[in-house]
Amino acid sequence: MSDFIKHPVVPLPDRLPEPVFSEKDLVFTDAEKEQIEEFRGQYPTPEGAVMKTLWLAQEKFGFLPPEVIRLVADTIEIPFSLAYGVATFYTQYYKAKKGSHVLDVCTCFSCQLCGGYDMLHYLEEKLGVREGETTEDGLFTIQGVECLGACGTAPMLQVTNGPYVHNLSREKLDALIDALKDGDMPPFVSVTLPQDEDALDGNRRSDAEATDTGRTPPIAETLE
Amino acid sequence: MPSPSRNGATKAGDWRNYERVLLPPVRDLHRFEVYVKHGGYEALRAVLTHSKKWAPDKVTEAVKASGLRGRGGAGFSTGLKWSFMPPVDPGTPRYIACNGDESEPGTFKDRQLMEYNPHLIFEGILIAARAMQIDATYLYIRGEYVDWIRHMEHELAKLYAEGYVGKRILGTDFSSEIIIHKGAGAYICGEETSLLESVEGKRAYPRIKPPFPAQKGLWGCPTTVNNVETLACAPLIINRGAEWFAGIGAEKHPGPVLYGLSGHVERPGVYEYPTGMLITDLIEEVAGGMRGGKKLKAIVPGGASVPVLRADMIDGVTMDTESLREAGSMMGTAGMLVMDEDTDMVKFLRRVTRFYHHESCGQCTPCREGTGWIENLVTRIDEGEGTLRDLDILMDLCDQMEGRTVCALADAAAWPVRNTIQRFREEFEAKCRQSIYAMA
Repeated sequence: MSDFIKHPVVPLPDRLPEPVFSEKDLVFTDAEKEQIEEFRGQYPTPEGAVMKTLWLAQEKFGFLPPEVIRLVADTIEIPFSLAYGVATFYTQYYKAKKGSHVLDVCTCFSCQLCGGYDMLHYLEEKLGVREGETTEDGLFTIQGVECLGACGTAPMLQVTNGPYVHNLSREKLDALIDALKDGDMPPFVSVTLPQDEDALDGNRRSDAEATDTGRTPPIAETLE
Repeated sequence: MPSPSRNGATKAGDWRNYERVLLPPVRDLHRFEVYVKHGGYEALRAVLTHSKKWAPDKVTEAVKASGLRGRGGAGFSTGLKWSFMPPVDPGTPRYIACNGDESEPGTFKDRQLMEYNPHLIFEGILIAARAMQIDATYLYIRGEYVDWIRHMEHELAKLYAEGYVGKRILGTDFSSEIIIHKGAGAYICGEETSLLESVEGKRAYPRIKPPFPAQKGLWGCPTTVNNVETLACAPLIINRGAEWFAGIGAEKHPGPVLYGLSGHVERPGVYEYPTGMLITDLIEEVAGGMRGGKKLKAIVPGGASVPVLRADMIDGVTMDTESLREAGSMMGTAGMLVMDEDTDMVKFLRRVTRFYHHESCGQCTPCREGTGWIENLVTRIDEGEGTLRDLDILMDLCDQMEGRTVCALADAAAWPVRNTIQRFREEFEAKCRQSIYAMA
C-alpha cells in the first residue's frame, strides 16, 4: 500500500464559463431524436428518460457543459434545473472537458491492498500529470475512482466509461498507453471464474473475444 | 473432515461435492439458445401454464418456504417481501426494481452473473413478475458496466423477439415488460429507495420509510426491490422445489450463494458454493490460502460496510446471518475481503472513510458532514498528526451518525470506523503516540 494523493486546491472561477458549443452545433440529429423518443417511451414520465439522454449527449458532445444539459432538458421537455441536478449528481457524467481517454484507476480497498495506488502513481509519473488532470496534448486524463466491481482482478482500471483492464502491472500499463496513443481501445476481457478453470478448462464463453467493447467516442464527427 | 461450526452442526460440509446451479459449468450458457437447450425457461413455462399448481400466491409461498434471503446485503426473507405487495388494483401499475447497481467495495458477483447466466436473471424476473402480477421491471445496472449492459440488452432483445417478454408471454394472457436502466456512477443507488428515485430520473436521494416501496414505490405505485442474484434463485426454486433449496447450506440462511473473494489470497474471484461455509475453508481451500504464505490479519466478510473481523475471531464462524452476527459481523453481500499481516489498518480505514465521504449523497447533515469529519480525523491520524483524543472523537462522531439519517449509508460509514478502531486499537494508538502532537 502506498501513500495517498494530496489534492491540489482548485480555485473557483469568478464568472460563468463561455458556452463551449455554438448554437448551430447544439442539435440532435433525427436518428438521435428518434432514440430519445424511444427512451421516453420506456418511462411513464419524461423525467425517467433524463439519464439515458444525458448519456447519449455525453457520447455525442464528449462532456456536459450547461448548454448541453439545457439541450437535453428541452428535448425531453423537463425543467433545466432537474436535468442539471441529475447531471451534477452522478460522477460518470463529465461536467468539464476531459482527455480523449479517461483512465479511471480503481483505488478502493481490494485494489488498494493489491497495489492500486502504485498503478495510479506510476501513471501520474509516466504521463507527467496528477490525478484529476489532463495531459497537455489532451490525450489522457487520470482519475482515481471508487469501486468498479472487479475486486477479484485487482488492481484494475476502466478506459473512458468503457472497457475494463484487469490485473494491472507496470508493463501492462505501458502497453495500454502505447495502444491508446495508436487509437486502439483495449479489447473486452471476460474474467474467468476459478471454478470454470477446473471444470471447463478455461473460459466458458466462446464469443468473448468477438464482443465489441463500449466506448465513449471523442466529440462526434457530426459536429463542425 | 469438515470442521463443525460453533453450534455443533456440520454446515455445508459437503461443499466439495457441491454442484453449481447459479453458474453451472456449461459453455456459452449466456446465449439464449444454449440456455433453452439446457432446460431454461421451463420454470417460467410451468408457472404460466400450470395455473392451478402455480397460482401467483403459490409461487410466493414456495419462495417463502425455500427460506431464500435477499443476496443484496440486508438478507431479508424474499418470499415475505413479495407477500407485502398489496392486492391488484386495476389501473395502478405494479413494478419490480431489480437491483444490479453493485457498488459495494468487495462485491463483484452480479457482474459475473449478468455476463455468464443473464437468462437465469431474466427468468427469475419473469417468475417474480408473475407471482406479484407485475406490469414492468426496471433492471438497474450501474453505468460502469457498459459492456455488460450491452450484453444484457442484446439477450433481452432476443427474448422480446421470441415472445418471452412483452405482450402475452408464451401465448398466455400474462404480459410484463423488462426495461434496462443504466446508472451513472453513484454508490447510493444501491439503496432501495434511492434506486427508485434514480429510475424516476432524479438525483438519487433516499426516501423516508415508511411508506415502504411495496406501498409507494416507483411513481407512487407498488414496487418490489430485489437484488439480481436473489431473483436468479427463483427459477431454481420452481424447478427443483422449495425443500431442495432449503436443504442447501445453512439452516436459517439456505441456498447457493456467489462468494466474491478478493484481497491477499492466492486465487481471488467469484465462487459458487452453499451458504454456511466456514470462513477458514473459503480462505484456505477455496481461494488457495494466503498470498505468498503470509499470515491472515483480518477479513471483511460481506462488503465494505460490514464490521471487520480479526483473524482470531473467525474460528468456526460460517458464512450465514446467525453465525456472523454471533461473531460480531454480518453476511452482507458475501464479498469477502482478505487482509494479510502486512496490512496497515489505519490506511485501510482511511480509504474506507474516503469512500463513504465521496459517496454520501448529501441529503442528511449527520452523514454529509460526519463522513467528511471521520475522513479528516482518520487521515490526520494516518499522516502522523493524530492524538489519542481523536479516537474518542471518532467514536463520538459515530454515535452521532448512526440511526440519525434517512438511509443506512451513515450507519455503514460508522460501523467500520467503530469496529476497526475497537478491534485494532493498538495500531491506532501507536500512530497517535508517534505523532508530532503526542504528549511526552
